[in-house]
Order: sequence, then structure tokens, then C-alpha cells
Amino acid sequence: MGIALKGYFVVLLLALLSSPEAVFGIRFVIDREECFSHDVKYEGDTVHVSFVIVKVDSSWHYSDDGVDLVVKGPSGDQIHDFRDKISEKIDFVAHQKGVHRFCFTNKSPYHETIDFDVHVGHFSYYDEHAKDEHFQPLMEQISKLEEALYNIQFEQHWLEAQTDRQAIINDAMSRRTIHKALFESAALVGASVLQVYLLRRLFERKLGMSRV
Amino acid sequence: MEVRGELVLVCILGVLICSCNFFMVSEAVWLNLPASGTKCVSEEIHNNVVVLADYVVVSDNHSHIPTISVKVTSPYGNNLHLKENVTQGQFAFTTHEAGSYLACFWVDGHVQGSGDVSVNIDWKTGIAAKDWDLVARKEKIEGVELELRKLEGAVEAIHENLLYLKTREAELRFVSEVTNTRVALFSLMSLGVCIAVSALQVWHLKRYFQKKKLI
Repeated sequence: MGIALKGYFVVLLLALLSSPEAVFGIRFVIDREECFSHDVKYEGDTVHVSFVIVKVDSSWHYSDDGVDLVVKGPSGDQIHDFRDKISEKIDFVAHQKGVHRFCFTNKSPYHETIDFDVHVGHFSYYDEHAKDEHFQPLMEQISKLEEALYNIQFEQHWLEAQTDRQAIINDAMSRRTIHKALFESAALVGASVLQVYLLRRLFERKLGMSRV
Repeated sequence: MEVRGELVLVCILGVLICSCNFFMVSEAVWLNLPASGTKCVSEEIHNNVVVLADYVVVSDNHSHIPTISVKVTSPYGNNLHLKENVTQGQFAFTTHEAGSYLACFWVDGHVQGSGDVSVNIDWKTGIAAKDWDLVARKEKIEGVELELRKLEGAVEAIHENLLYLKTREAELRFVSEVTNTRVALFSLMSLGVCIAVSALQVWHLKRYFQKKKLI
């Protein structure tokens, strides 16, 4: 009875500590600079960050420039620095607990829509394993499975954002072929009309001079 | 039917608020609001998905907490939630159309001090918004079984997502192939126009020179 109760409390404790950290994911439009903060509750947690530039608000100018991302820890120390990236997916171990800052900088003159996702994975069973003798190995495996599944969801969100980006580029490319063909035909017709007109004018002048 | 749905949602929200303090789950992001202007965040959500969100103004100065206004709109422009002059709040809805849902925040009035207000947004969609306490109580399961149920839910969500990605990829492939045929077709059309126009030119000039008795 006592052991069952203790087991139940361990399970409850685990359920509390290894609370599922769901995937977050937001999209925002960046002008020049945009900063987000996220609170990492435990030291040693793995923080997964991903971002994808989904679209650029410029119709004709296609530029491959990305945005910059600077990741700073709670005490202001720089953890990561990415320059000119279109899409990125990284993970790092948080050495301190506290509020981490993620700052994006946009250097191109156009507005960009960015899909940003952050996911913190917490392994509580590493601490518990040393202390509790009655630790249930089943719950440990379940926690690992949970962590793996949330990682998969995180990756899927990134894939979805990448697919969105490709869909927008594809549609733009399709429209551009038609526009290109129409402009080309119009330019050809215009150029030949101009040619005919210039030749006629040249010969008329020549004819006019020779007749006189 | 709709009233009952609303009631269930309110109950879920109530339980969620109670359980929030107990469970310390906060997968929330802090947003910096400038003193003037609107900050918007959006998310692409599918049809028939439960969305739960929580927002709190974070401020070090406890005597005067700046107030903000929130507006949530659906892809077709319907207002789903509008609150002014609040320091915290929640909203919940079930999506009826697939698309981009937008949540906009702006600061009311004037802000003392640095001028940057931080808002803590906790936004849960789909499987993350599911109330497991309710499920546990309704079906009288707990412990390992509840955890496995959660995992089953997560796996189903992953599978659904994968199927959605598959359809997106099929669409992408279709558009790519259409573009491929279009490039070929329109290049030929351009070439045809070029040849036709130059033939027309030659014919016209020949006629002109014959008329002017040069040839």
C-alpha cells in the first residue's frame, strides 16, 4: 500500500516535472528589427529554434538576402549569431535559466514575413534517476518518447514553413513566365514597327533629296 | 448546439486557468510592443482546430502597469475577440475556415518610462489546446494510461500534419509541371511572334520599295 502510494506520487511528480512542452510557432512581418523573449525554466534544457522567411513583400525584385538572428542568454551573453539566413534550424543547451532573447534584423528595404518557432525540451528524469530508488523505468521511456514526438512536431512545423515558401515562389515563377512571354512579344512587335518606321523615313528623305 | 459548445469551451477555459497555476506549463513568447503602432502575430491554422491563447502584460513597475488592446481576426476578416484597456486576458475559439489568423496588440494611451511594453503570449492550437484533465476525469484514467493517451494524441496530430504536407507537396508538383509546360509553350509563342513579325516587315518594305519604284 505504502509502495503503491509512493509510486503514485513519483508518477504525479514526473507528470508535473516533465510537462509536455508543446510546439509554439508564430508568423510575423518584420520591418527593420523585431525581438522576442522566451523564458527557459531549467538550466540544461535543450532549446530548439527555427525560422523560415516565408515571403518577401516585393513583386519584381527577387533578392536572396536573408535576415540576421542573434540569440542572447539571460545575462546578455551572445549564444548564437546568424547573418543573412533564409531559413535555419538549430538547437543549443541553455547554460543558464532565465529569459533568452531572439532578435531578428532585416537589412533589405522590403517587409518580410518570418515564421518563427521555439521549443524547449526538458529532461527531468536525469535528475530523478539518481535520487529515487522506486523510479519507474516505464515513465522514463514514456518521457523520452514524448520528447521525441515533440521534436518531430517541431521539425514538421519547420517543414511546413519551408513548403509554404516554396509554394509562394512557385506561384510567382508561374506568373512570371506568362508576363515575360507577353512583354517579349510586345517588345518584338514594338521593335519591328519602329524599324519599319525608321527605314521608311530614311528612304523618304533620300527620295526627297534625289528628286529635287 | 452553439450555446452548448460555448459552455464547454468556457468550462475548458476555467479548468485550464485553474490547472495553469498547478502545472507551471508556459510555452509562451514575450513580444515587445512599441509605444505607438500595432504589432501583429499570425498563424496558419487548418479548419476545425481549437485555439486557446493567454496574454499578460509583463512589467517590472508594479505601481503602474500599462494597458494594451487586443484584436483577433479570422482569415475572412471577422472579429473573433476584441478587448481594450486590459493588462491580461484569454481567448478561445474553434476555427471554421482554414487560413491565417491574426492577433494584433497595441498600447493604449501613453506609456511612462522606456516606452517598450512586453506582452507574454501563450498560444496553443490543436492537440496542445486539448484539456487532458477533462479527458482523465471523463474516462477515469490516470498515470501511465493518461500519458499514453497524450502520446497517442500527439502521434495522430503528427500523422494529420504529414498528410497535409503530402497534399501541399502534390499541389507544388502540379504547379511546377504546369510552369514547365508554360515555359516551353510561351517560348515557342515568342519565337513564332518574332518570325511572323519579321516576315511581315520584309513584305511591307518590299511593297513600299516597289511602290516607290526603287526595286
